[in-house]
Amino acid sequence: MNDIIFGQYLPGNSIMHRLDPRLKIVGLLVLLITIFFDAGFLGYGILALLAIGIVACSSIPLKRIMKAMKPIFFMILFLAVFNLLLIQTGHVIFRFWIFKIYSGAVTQTVYIIIRLILIITLTTTLTATTKPLDLTLGLEHLMKPLHKIGFPTHEVAMMISIALRFIPTLLEETQRIMKAQASRGVDFQEGSLKDKIGAIISLIIPLFISAFQRAEDLANAMESRNYIPGALRTRYHQLSWKGRDTIAALILCTVSMGIFALSLL
Amino acid sequence: MSITFENVEYIYGEETPIAYQALKGVNLHVEKGSFTALIGHTGSGKSTLIQHINALLIPSSGKVTIEDFEITRTKKPQLLKPLRKKAGLVFQFPEYQLFEETIEKDITFGPRNFGVSEEEAKQKARECLLRVGLDESYLERSPFELSGGQKRRVAIAGILAMDPDILVLDEPTAGLDPQGAKDMLDLFKDFQKSGKTVIMVSHDMNHVLKYCDHVIVMNKGQVEKHCRVEDLFKERDYLQQLSIDLPLMTDFIDKLNKNGFHIDHAINNMDDLIKEIGGELHE
Repeated sequence: MNDIIFGQYLPGNSIMHRLDPRLKIVGLLVLLITIFFDAGFLGYGILALLAIGIVACSSIPLKRIMKAMKPIFFMILFLAVFNLLLIQTGHVIFRFWIFKIYSGAVTQTVYIIIRLILIITLTTTLTATTKPLDLTLGLEHLMKPLHKIGFPTHEVAMMISIALRFIPTLLEETQRIMKAQASRGVDFQEGSLKDKIGAIISLIIPLFISAFQRAEDLANAMESRNYIPGALRTRYHQLSWKGRDTIAALILCTVSMGIFALSLL
Repeated sequence: MSITFENVEYIYGEETPIAYQALKGVNLHVEKGSFTALIGHTGSGKSTLIQHINALLIPSSGKVTIEDFEITRTKKPQLLKPLRKKAGLVFQFPEYQLFEETIEKDITFGPRNFGVSEEEAKQKARECLLRVGLDESYLERSPFELSGGQKRRVAIAGILAMDPDILVLDEPTAGLDPQGAKDMLDLFKDFQKSGKTVIMVSHDMNHVLKYCDHVIVMNKGQVEKHCRVEDLFKERDYLQQLSIDLPLMTDFIDKLNKNGFHIDHAINNMDDLIKEIGGELHE
């Protein structure tokens, strides 16, 4: 239950930790788009180098990134197998029983694997080096222009931060209820499908009830402290754009423009 | 059913950077039929200790023996399911474990999981509901319509219906009003009198004095003291150092004795105290 690495913040004081969250969010978006430009192996080489650089600047242990890959390992495998067998471009390089593997399929598959690994590495780095609160603060700033067309930016940001805040609480609650039900003879590991469904129900219902209860308590607590959605409020924690953010932004722009250019060639 | 801990250690998140040793070399023997209080500060390892009694946690090293069940690190958890029936564990705020449509279904949930027939389980549900002080009209109601205190009673009935030989309670009176707390504790006392073993985590020394016969003091993952209740409350200085207050009655006896009385320090109920002072009881 505590093995959920994807999306977990890892306290630290590296360059990546100190970069402006707005830059990190936009940067991630730009890189995610760049990853999908087909700039050949040269392009992916450059991106991989950049990703390695980013991870190196973030003081995240490599082991942790490997762990984040684990849950989607099967997805990668699944995609790889299907791509290898179904794409029929280029020439046949390998025959096996009724299957033919084409050269185009091999390159496409390698591309997809590289893309997925890059995506996970980069998103893990973002969430591992940015506090959930900074992340929402950054999002709120970035969504500001939408406010003009009536989009409730502040409320959305508040919703995201509350959701993030309660993930560990709900995990703890889940464990507690699982233990309570295990004490009443529920077996969460073994048993037939019917038993398993019963076990899940005995977990889900109390979890929902306590989550609703918590939500109500939280709403009351917020209202009793005069929380008004969208009201103008000041913040203790201000975002400030520094020299290092400009440098990082320039590197990022150069790389993505370069790859864009390469893909047009 | 007696409970024995031999050199039990427990480490949360073993082999990770966040590893935390919650139990350090715990040795313990709890006699069958006793009512033992478990006291100590938050984080002293009380909750970790009690979760070993029904094998929710398996010791990182050492051995726990519950009658003829031996729990060690290498033991397969599947073999321990029958133990969960014998040692009923009631967590803090057990009302959060209710989930069925009717109270009857919720109480029979435990026994049914342990293979008791439906008829027998329903019979048990009726008995246990009465024991916790709710009448049969509740059987068909939804547990979610009840008040907090009533929900707790239903949840405890759900554990009692499993017919355990050992009842382990984690602060069963937290958040109850004084009358509700008294009712609960009287219920546990009756349960003990029927020959069962009760272990209760508590922060209220008045409850410990009145209901328990033995007490275990935990501090920083170790058992510091395991003695009879009256012996513990003789050691005012030791308790002060743990910032535990004496029970009101013991404190009162202390004050009387300081001013010339010679009253037995071990008295734990009002009637005896009145007689000892020389008063008369009128029924």
